[in-house]
Parts: sequence; structure tokens; C-alpha cells
Amino acid sequence: MDKELEAEVVEQATNATENDSTTHNWQRVSPIALLYFVLKVIKNIFGNFIYLAPALYLGYDKVAEDPSFWLPIIYGAVALIVLSAVLSFYFFQYRLSNQQIEIRSGVFSKKYINLPFSRIQNVELTEPLYYRPFGYTCMQLDTAGSVKQEAKVVAINKHLALQLKNEILAAHQPVTSTETEDVTETQTKIEDEVVLDTRNLDDLVIHGITNNRVWIFIAGMAPFIDQISDKIGQWLYFLGFNVEQYFEFEGKSGWQIATTAISLTLMVMIPITIFSIIGSIIAFHDFKLSRSGDRYIRRSGLFTRNEVTMRLSRLQVIVRQQDWLDVLLGRINLKFEQSNANFQQAQAGQLTNKIIVPSVTRKECQFLIDDAYPENKLKDVEFNRVSPRLLVRNLLLFILPISAVIASLAYQQQPIITIVYVLIFAVFISVLITMSYIRWGYAADDNFIYVRKGCLGVDYYCFPIYKVQQAGFKQSWFLKRKQLCSVEFVLASGAINIPYVTEATGLCLLDNSLYQVEQSKKNWM
Amino acid sequence: MNPTVLDTPEALADFSNKTVATDELASLAKLNFNALSAKYAPTHRLVILMTTLLLMTLILIAHHQPWLALPTEVKVVFEVAQWVIGTIGLLAYLYNYFADPKKQYSLREQDISYQSGLVFNKTVCQPILRVQHVELKRGPIERKVGLASLQVFSAGGAMHTFEIPGLDYDNAENIRQYILSHKDLTQHG
Repeated sequence: MDKELEAEVVEQATNATENDSTTHNWQRVSPIALLYFVLKVIKNIFGNFIYLAPALYLGYDKVAEDPSFWLPIIYGAVALIVLSAVLSFYFFQYRLSNQQIEIRSGVFSKKYINLPFSRIQNVELTEPLYYRPFGYTCMQLDTAGSVKQEAKVVAINKHLALQLKNEILAAHQPVTSTETEDVTETQTKIEDEVVLDTRNLDDLVIHGITNNRVWIFIAGMAPFIDQISDKIGQWLYFLGFNVEQYFEFEGKSGWQIATTAISLTLMVMIPITIFSIIGSIIAFHDFKLSRSGDRYIRRSGLFTRNEVTMRLSRLQVIVRQQDWLDVLLGRINLKFEQSNANFQQAQAGQLTNKIIVPSVTRKECQFLIDDAYPENKLKDVEFNRVSPRLLVRNLLLFILPISAVIASLAYQQQPIITIVYVLIFAVFISVLITMSYIRWGYAADDNFIYVRKGCLGVDYYCFPIYKVQQAGFKQSWFLKRKQLCSVEFVLASGAINIPYVTEATGLCLLDNSLYQVEQSKKNWM
Repeated sequence: MNPTVLDTPEALADFSNKTVATDELASLAKLNFNALSAKYAPTHRLVILMTTLLLMTLILIAHHQPWLALPTEVKVVFEVAQWVIGTIGLLAYLYNYFADPKKQYSLREQDISYQSGLVFNKTVCQPILRVQHVELKRGPIERKVGLASLQVFSAGGAMHTFEIPGLDYDNAENIRQYILSHKDLTQHG
């Protein structure tokens, strides 16, 4: 019975792909991938830009001196790049058969990947700018296993890619029921996608202001950062702005120094904010979060359109994040975090492992959270405070060195004003420490653990208890005397700590979590 | 309730899987801990001592070698380095002298726990259901004295690899087998 069904599924799947092309045999990707390979080679070269920079600098003079000698070499280098791209293209082949995808690649060191659809955890479609007019896309396939075991089909027809994606993700559905209608049902379910959230330009501008998205901009600019900073220096000089003058503090009063500091901060902050807004638009332009069946799909991006798909079951923790500006403006960044394991190698700037919804309003945020976890009570759960000893410890850790500084200043008979500055600074930090203590909070109900933390801003974490991977109980000698402890919950997306709770509460939280994990035996993804 | 010793394969055959906490809630506070191998603490101290001495000897040789005249700055750096390494070595020796006996582990039907730390005591509990794979790690010295470290990997990432050092090799192998043959892993893994 089961076998019959399986055969049918396979047949259906293969039929679907056969319609477009005969993908049974080894085949190459579209020639448009040549562009991809050329850019990849160039990117690799520029990745080592720091080592190449002196050579390029020297080289430039040489070339200017004697172009007839050096030009052929440059042409040769260009030819080499093109040749390596052509070879990479030639040797890149893939094949689809029997619910699995095979990829052969590599010019000198050959690589062969064989991935059954059922082992693919995540399908990510990326459309670089230069693919878009031709309707092609990069398809990245992730497995839960290791970093090395991931495959990328570098240029595939978008239509085919979407079809394949549906098929791959359908292969995941546990087909336990013997009814064949089930399969068709999931097939249709995939098609009706519900848009949950979109972001407009003004949302993105707010997001750029409240969150530092400079790195998105900088990551793209990295190879040219030297030239840019040189240029900026020249412009400033041109505008009659003497940088050195700014830093001559001798003979200036405290207020002058303070104004200098403030104007300097502004001068740094304004361009950073502008770049941050640009970065936010680059990353989140035309943001769309939709849901189809049990899958969340995020699409966004100005130049390179990115599509990330995550099954609801892969969601590990919901993070509701607000910086202090977000608190003032009433906006929230909502993150759906999934397993981290695959993405440790990924660049810091990549957003692929989480679905982030930038700067949503309170209402939209609640709607999205309720959509993912209907039975969660994040909105009206009452948070418990952690022990005030955390506040005492942090203040002591900070105030002891500060008072030492003040004492030594007084001992050296410094003017009162210096001591006042140090004091103001100390009070400011103490306020921050107190704020961060007040933010700490935790709560638990039958299914979820909630944690609140932050300082000026506030972050909420909410995770289903059965997703816990590992539990930790920490107690220093001092905490033991006061019968306090800290607890740690390790999830696939990272660890979440609750500091300074009573021993009884901590043990209760841990024991209950372990019990839920071990008793329910639910899968974490 | 707690199959604490797993020296014989018979213990595996008698394996039961009663659900925890129906009668009384199992608590991390009530774990029955087992000590690490008796060989672990002395070996660990010896390794610290030898490493310290080796580093100090190397610097001493570099300091007084007759072939190359060193600038005074370098000699000062070497001297400071001697003191720093010596102090760190001594402190590490003293710390581990008291901390190593505190390291202990506990095996329950559904999870495995490890406790360590002298001033900052930490108990980590790894449910076997969430284990992805298990490794025995044995360096040259561990092989020499017949010890092994047990590493248990979950999806929590490299930062949260569960590790029990200094187990007798046979015991470590038994625990590994126990985890691998656990019903949860064979069914849900």
C-alpha cells in the first residue's frame, strides 16, 4: 500500500519536471551562468584585495609608464578569468531523478553532491540583478547536516525553480495517510499563498533610522572603501574644513570641547544614518512575507531579490526586538529564528537564517506572532522579576573601579570639575545598569517560555519548551549561599539565559523543560 | 530509576524506558553523580605541569642561546613572559587541583548530565532525544593512560557541545553505545 503511494508520488513529481525539460539526464545550466561565474572569480580576487592592493598600486605606475608591455598581460589576465568561468560553467552539471538532485562541479577538484529531496531542509531562491531580465534564479539547497553538504544550482529557469521547490518541500510532508487526495491537497495548498505582511518605503526609512543597517551598504562597498574614504577627505578639505584644527584642544574651554564632541558625533551620525537607510532599502525593498500551508516565505531586496522559505516547524524562537528609538516610534523588529548550524560559515551581513520583519507596528507584530504560535500569550503574560542581587552585583562591579578613579583624582588634587565629569558619567552608567535590571523578566506557561531583556530598548523572546536542545544550571559560590541560580536554555538558534532566579524556580523551569522534551518526544524541526 | 553504572552489556539488555516523572518529577537537584576516572585528575595536573615547564624551557633556551645576540627589549619581553607563564601555570595547577574532583557526570534514562566548576558551578543536561551524533576524543596522552573524552553534539551548535572529559575508555565506549542504541535516537534521529 505504502509502496504504491510512494511510486505514485515519484511519478507525479517526475511528470512535473518532465513538462519543462528532460531533467533526467545530466545537463548544464543556462549560459547566463557564465556571468555568475565571471563575477564569482572577480569576487574571489577582490576578497583577497588587501594582499593585492600593494601589487595593484605598483602595477598602476608601471602600466602608465609602458602600456605596450603591460597591456597584453592585462588582456591575458582578463582572458584567464573568462576561461576559468567558461570551464566552471562547462563542468557544472546537474540531474534530477527519483526524488533526488545530483550536482557535479569543479574544474580541477571535482565535486559531486547527491541530495535526496527528503533531506533538503530549506530552499532559497536568489535573483541577482543581472538574472532578472532573463527570468533566471540561483537555487540554494540546504540540508540540516553539515555546511559542506549544501548545493547550489547557479542558474535555473525561475518557473522550473519554483516548481522544483514545491516538489522538494512536498517531499517533506509526512505522507502518513493512505489517501491519495492528500498529496493533491498539499499540492494545491502550495499554490494559494497568503500575504501576511508587506513593507512600504516609509517603513524602511524608519527601519534605517532606528537600526544600524550600515553593514549592508558597506558589505557591497568593501572593495572600494579606501577610495571612498580618500575622496571624502578630499571633499572635506575642498569645502574648507580643516580636520586637524578640530582636534587641537589646547586653550579651549570645557564647553568648546563639548560642542566639538557633539558636532563631531553629529557629523559621524548623519552619514551613518543615511547609509543605514540606504542599506535598509537595499535589503528590504518590496518586502513581502507570505504564508502558504505551513511555510513562511520572505521576499525582499532591491538589487538582488532574495527569497527565503521556512517551514513553521523549523521555527525555534520568536524575537520581538525594539531599540530605544523603536520604543519611541512604537515600531518592532520581529525575527523568526531557525537553526543556526548551517550558517556559521555565512557572512555576518547575511540575513538568510532568520526571517526578519523590519519595523512593524505593534498590531501587525501581534498578528504575525499569533499567526505562528496561536496559543502563545506573549501579549498578556505577566513577567517575573529576577533577583535584585543582579542589580547589586552589576552596580558593585562598576562602581568599585569608578570610585577608585575618583579617589585617585581627588588624591592628585585635580580640579573639582574633572571629578564632576567622572561622577556624571558614573551616574549615567548606573542608570543604564538599573534600566537593564528592570528589563529582565521571565515567564512560563504550559507550552512556552518567555524572556524579556534589554536596556533602553526591550527584546522579548518566546520559544516552545519542547524545542530545547540542552539545559544548563549555573550557580556560583555566592549565588548558592543566597539560594539563587542562573539557567540556560540552548536552542538550535542559540542560547537563552535567565540570570539570578531562585534555586527552586530555576530547577522547576529546567526540570519541566526536560520533562516536556523527553516525554513529548516531539521533533525540534 | 537511574542506571548509573554501565559496565556490562547486560545493562543494555535490561534497558527499560519508563517515562520519567509520572511518579515523582525527576529533578536535576536529585541527580546521582558518578566521579570521573581516578586517573583523570593526576594526568590533567601532569599535563599542565609539563606544558608550563616545556614553554618555560623553550623561552629559557631562546633567551640564553649563544648564536644570536638579542636586543635588550626582547630579553625583557622574555623575562616577563617567563613570569607570566609560570604564574598562569601555577594558578592553573592549583585551580585544577581543587576543581577536578568537582567534575562529575550522571546518566539517566532520558538524558545525560555533567557538572563542573569550583567557584562557578555549572550543570549541563543533554536530553538524548536531541543528540545528533556522539564522538570519543582521545589525544596521545589520553590514549597512553587509557582515558577518553565523550563529546555529544546537538543542534545547539559548536559552542554548546556537551563534553565529559577523563572517562575510562571502556566506560566511555559503553556510554556512547548506550546513547547510540537509545530508542529515541533510533526512532526519531
